[in-house]
Amino acid sequence: MKTKKSPWSRVALYLFVFVVCIIILYPYFVMFTTAAKSNEEMYGNVLLPSVWQWSNFVDIWTEAPVFKYLLNSIIVAGGATFLAILCGIPAAYALSRMRFKGKAIFMGAVIMSQMFSPVVLLVGIYRLMTDMGLTNNLIGLILLNAAFNQAFAIWLLRGTFTSISSEMEQAAKIDGCGTVQALIRVLLPVAAPGIVTTLIFVFINSWNEYTIALTLISGDLLKPITVGINIFYGFNFIKWQYLFATSIFATIPVVILFLCIEKHLVSGLTSGGVKG
Amino acid sequence: MKENPKPHSIKKNSKPRSIKKNPKPRTLLNKRAIEPYIWLLPSIIMMGVLILVPIITVFQTSFSKISKAGVNKGFAKLDNYLWIFKQPAFRRTLMNTIVWTVVVVGVSTILGIILGLVLNEKFHGRKIVRAIVVFPWATALIIQSVIWKYIINADYGALNTLLLKLGIIKSNVNWTATPQMFFAWECFVGILVTVPFVTFCVLSGLQSIDASLYEAAEVDGASFWNKLFRVTLPLLMPSLTVSTVLNIIYVFNSFPIVWTISKGDPADMTHTLVTYLYKLSFTNQRVGEAAAVSVIGFMILAVCASIYMFMTLRAEKED
Amino acid sequence: MKKFLASLLVSAMALTLAACGGNPSSPSNGSNPSSGSGTTGGGDKTTINVIISQYGNYTQEWWTQFEKDFEAANDTVDLNIEIVSWNDIYSVVSTRIQSKQQPDILNISGFADYVADDLLMQATEYTSEEVQKKIIPSFWESNAIDGTVWALPILASCRSLFCNMDLLNEAGVTAPPTTWDEVLTACQAVKDKHGDAIVPWGLDISNDEGQAAFSYYSWNFGGGFVDGNGDWALNSDANVQAVEYIKKLIDSGYCNSAPYTDTRYPLQDAFSAGTLAMMIGPMNMVAADSTVNYQSVNIPGNGVGLGVCDQLMVFKNDAAPDQAARTEAIKAFFDFFYDCERYSDYMVFEGFLPATLDSSDNLAANAEKYKVGGSDATGNSEYFKTFCAQLPDCQFYPMQKAEWMDVRNGVIEVEQQVCQGQISAKDALDNLQANIAG
Repeated sequence: MKTKKSPWSRVALYLFVFVVCIIILYPYFVMFTTAAKSNEEMYGNVLLPSVWQWSNFVDIWTEAPVFKYLLNSIIVAGGATFLAILCGIPAAYALSRMRFKGKAIFMGAVIMSQMFSPVVLLVGIYRLMTDMGLTNNLIGLILLNAAFNQAFAIWLLRGTFTSISSEMEQAAKIDGCGTVQALIRVLLPVAAPGIVTTLIFVFINSWNEYTIALTLISGDLLKPITVGINIFYGFNFIKWQYLFATSIFATIPVVILFLCIEKHLVSGLTSGGVKG
Repeated sequence: MKENPKPHSIKKNSKPRSIKKNPKPRTLLNKRAIEPYIWLLPSIIMMGVLILVPIITVFQTSFSKISKAGVNKGFAKLDNYLWIFKQPAFRRTLMNTIVWTVVVVGVSTILGIILGLVLNEKFHGRKIVRAIVVFPWATALIIQSVIWKYIINADYGALNTLLLKLGIIKSNVNWTATPQMFFAWECFVGILVTVPFVTFCVLSGLQSIDASLYEAAEVDGASFWNKLFRVTLPLLMPSLTVSTVLNIIYVFNSFPIVWTISKGDPADMTHTLVTYLYKLSFTNQRVGEAAAVSVIGFMILAVCASIYMFMTLRAEKED
Repeated sequence: MKKFLASLLVSAMALTLAACGGNPSSPSNGSNPSSGSGTTGGGDKTTINVIISQYGNYTQEWWTQFEKDFEAANDTVDLNIEIVSWNDIYSVVSTRIQSKQQPDILNISGFADYVADDLLMQATEYTSEEVQKKIIPSFWESNAIDGTVWALPILASCRSLFCNMDLLNEAGVTAPPTTWDEVLTACQAVKDKHGDAIVPWGLDISNDEGQAAFSYYSWNFGGGFVDGNGDWALNSDANVQAVEYIKKLIDSGYCNSAPYTDTRYPLQDAFSAGTLAMMIGPMNMVAADSTVNYQSVNIPGNGVGLGVCDQLMVFKNDAAPDQAARTEAIKAFFDFFYDCERYSDYMVFEGFLPATLDSSDNLAANAEKYKVGGSDATGNSEYFKTFCAQLPDCQFYPMQKAEWMDVRNGVIEVEQQVCQGQISAKDALDNLQANIAG
C-alpha cells in the first residue's frame, strides 16, 4: 500500500515493529541467558549471569545424546515431509485438474481428518503401530507425521495447482508428453513456491511433534529432540540450564531453514491461499 | 524420460479435452474413469490406515467400559457420555475451549493482519524483522511453553527479575494468582505462536494484489482507511479464510501450551478439551470417558467445518 | 531421480499395505512382544521387556550396564530395558495395557488397579526364597492385598522437613519449628526479614504430588487416609483442620506463588540454591553441590514422616511361548537385581534407601565404596545409617486399597478447590468421602 507518509506514521510504524520484536525475542533472550547461568543464580532473581557458564552449552552434548536426538528429528521431519509431498502432489493434481465422482466427499474427508488432534488418538495410534510392528521405530513416526500433515499438504498444493493455468501442460501433452511427464516437467517447476511452502509447513509440524513420539518411542537413542529434552526433567531435579541450552540448539536448524526460503514462503502462500 | 512411449499416443487424443474441463466425463473409457482415484490412492491409503483406524478406535472406546488399568470390559452404552455431561469441570472446560479458540484465533488474526500490512511497507531493517517474526513459529511449542512457564513464575521467574531491575515494579508480582490469570497467559502464548502464520498468509496475499487497484483508488481520492477496507481486506479474504480455518482446527486441538503451563489447574479451571481428556485418560484413568470427550470435540469441529464448507460452496456457486 | 522417487513411493505404499493387511490377522498381538523394538533376538531366546522409572540424571546409564551384565550372565534371555520419566510413565503404561502390550516387568508406584484386572503375577511365583528372605518384612507385606503379595519394593525414601538454618537464624528463628504454630511464626519471621527475595515455605499441591502434601499435614494433625480399621476416613476433623491449615499458609503469603502448578522439583532446586527457607521433601532432595547450611528434622506436629516405596511388578503374559522359561528368566532378573553388591550400588547411585536387609547393613558400613550417579545422591554411610533407621517410623500411602488412585486424585482436587476458596474444607472432604466410600 503506497500512501503519502506523515513523519508520525513513520514513528508509529517503527515503534510498533520495535515492540513486536521485543516481545518475540524476549523468550529467546531469557533462554540464552538462563542457559549460561549457574544453578544458584537460576533461582536468585538475577538478570544476567555474573559468570557466563559457557560450559553448559558444551556439557549437554555429553550429558545426553543430544546430537542423536537432533539427527532423529531431522530424519523424522525430513522423511515425513518427503512422504507427505510425494503422496500429496498426485492427490492435489487430481483434485485441481480432474473431475470425478466423490471429489467433494474426499475434500470433506481431508478436512475431517484434521479434526482429531493426535493427542486424542494416542491409544488408537499406539495399538495400530503395535500391530504394524512400528513402535519404537522412526519409520512409524515418519508415516504418522506424513499422514497427519497430508491434509494440509493436499490443501495447499491444490490451491497452488488451481491457480496455475493448465495451458502449458496441454501444450506439453500435444508435444507428446504423458500426464506424469507434463506434471513433472511443466507444472512442478511453476508450482515450486507453493511446494516449498508446503514443505516448510510439514517440516515444522513434524519437527515440533511431541505427543506421538513420546508415546511411541521408547529407546533413548531413537528419541527426537522434543522428547529427548525430557531427560533434563528428572525425578528429583530440573536442569533448566541444559534444557534451555538444548532448546536453543533445537531451534537453530528450523530458523535457518526458514531464512533460506523465506522469499519462496511469501510467494508460496499466495498461490496456496487463492482458493481454499 | 522415454520409458514408455506407447501410452502417450493413446492419451494424446483424449487427454486435453478433460483438462479443459469440458463437461463430458461420461464418454470416458473405463480406465479414464478410475484414473483420478489412482492419483488419490497414496493419500487415501496413508490417511485411511494411519488416521481412520485410530479414529474408529476412539469411537469404539467411547462406547466401552475401560477399567482403570486399561482393560476393556465390554459395551457401556452411553454411560461415558452421561458421566461426562454430569461433570461441572466439563462444562467449564467447554466454555474455556470456546474462549481459548475465539480469543487466540481472533486476536492473532487481527494482529497478523496489522503486522502483515506493516511488514509489506518498505522500511529499514524489514528483512531482519521478517526473520524475527518467524522465530515463534520455528520453535517447538513445547519449548515455547516451558520457557514462558519459567518467565512468568512469580518467585524466580525472568519477568519479575527484569521488571524489578528496570524499576518498573517494586516487589514481585504474582502473575498467576488466579486461574483467570493463568488462562490469560496461556492465551497470550497461544497468540504469540499463532501470529507468524497469519502474518505470512497476509504477506503472501498482499503480493498478489494488483498495484493498479491502489492507483485507481488513489485517483478516486480514497483515504488510507478507504483503501484498507475497500481494496486490501476484501482481496485478502481468500488467504485469511485459509489461515483462519486451519488455525481454528489447530488451536482448538492445541495441547502443549496449556498442559505445560498449568496442566488445567488450579482445580481444573484452566483446561481446554484436549488437556481435559488427557488428564481424564492418563491421570484419572478414565479412558472411556476421555474418548467420549474427544468424540464430542470432534462433533463440535465437524459442525463448524460443515458450516464453513456450506458457505464456501455457496460462495463458489455464486461466482 | 524420478525413478528413485517412484520406487520410494511404491515401497512406502507397500509397507503401508503390508502392515494394513497384517492388521486383522493378528488379534492376539501379545505373541510377539518384542515386535518393533528393533532387536532381532536370536532363535529361542526368552525376551523380557522391562520398564524402569527415571529416578535420576543417569538412570539410563546404570540400567544399560545392567542389561549388558545380565545378558552376559544369562545367555538365554534377551532383556529390553526402557527408562521412562515419571512425567510420562502412567500414560505410557496405560497405553500399552490398552494395546495388550504390557511389559513383563514394570517399575511404578501403585499396583492395586492392575490386581483388580487380574493382570499381575503373584510375587511368590517369581521370587526365589533367597530374595524373599532378603526383603525387609514390612516392605514385603506392604505390597499385599488380603495376604497375597503382588509386587516387590524397588527402593524406599522418606520425607522430612528441611530448614535453611542461615535464613532462619537471620530472621531470629534459632531452631527448626516442631509444631504447626511454630511454622507460622517462623514463616512470618522469614517474610519480615527477607521480603520477596526468599520464599518462606515450599508447598506443592499440584497434580504431580499433591497427595504427598495431604499426607504430611493430615497425618501430623492426627488424621490421615484411613481409620484404625483400614477403612477410608477422609473427612475426619483432623483432615479438615489440615486442609484449612494449608489454605492458611497460602493466604498468609508464606508459600511459593503457584502451589497449584509448582511441582516439588523446582522447589527443591530453589532450596538448594538458598532462596527457599523451609520445605518438606525427600531425604536426598538437596543437591550435592549445594552450599546451603540446612537441617533435616521431623515433620512438625506428630513427627510422622512419609515413606515412599515404589514397586516392581510382573505382568502375566498368556501368549508367551514358554511360560516356564519366562518365569525362570524373570526369577533370574530379580536374583540378579537384588544381589547385595549390585543393589547397594544402585541405591548409592540414585541416592535412595534399600528395601533389603543385607544391603541396608552393607550401606550403613560401606556406602563410600560405591559410585554416586546423580548430583542429588550421596555415598555416605552415616547418611544411610540415619535414614534407614528413620524408615520404620514412616507411614506409607494405602496403595493396596483398590480406590487408592481415586483417593489420590480426590485429595488433590480438594486441596486445590479449598485453597482457591471455591468450597469449605469440610464440605469438600465430606463430598470426597461420600464419593469414595459410597
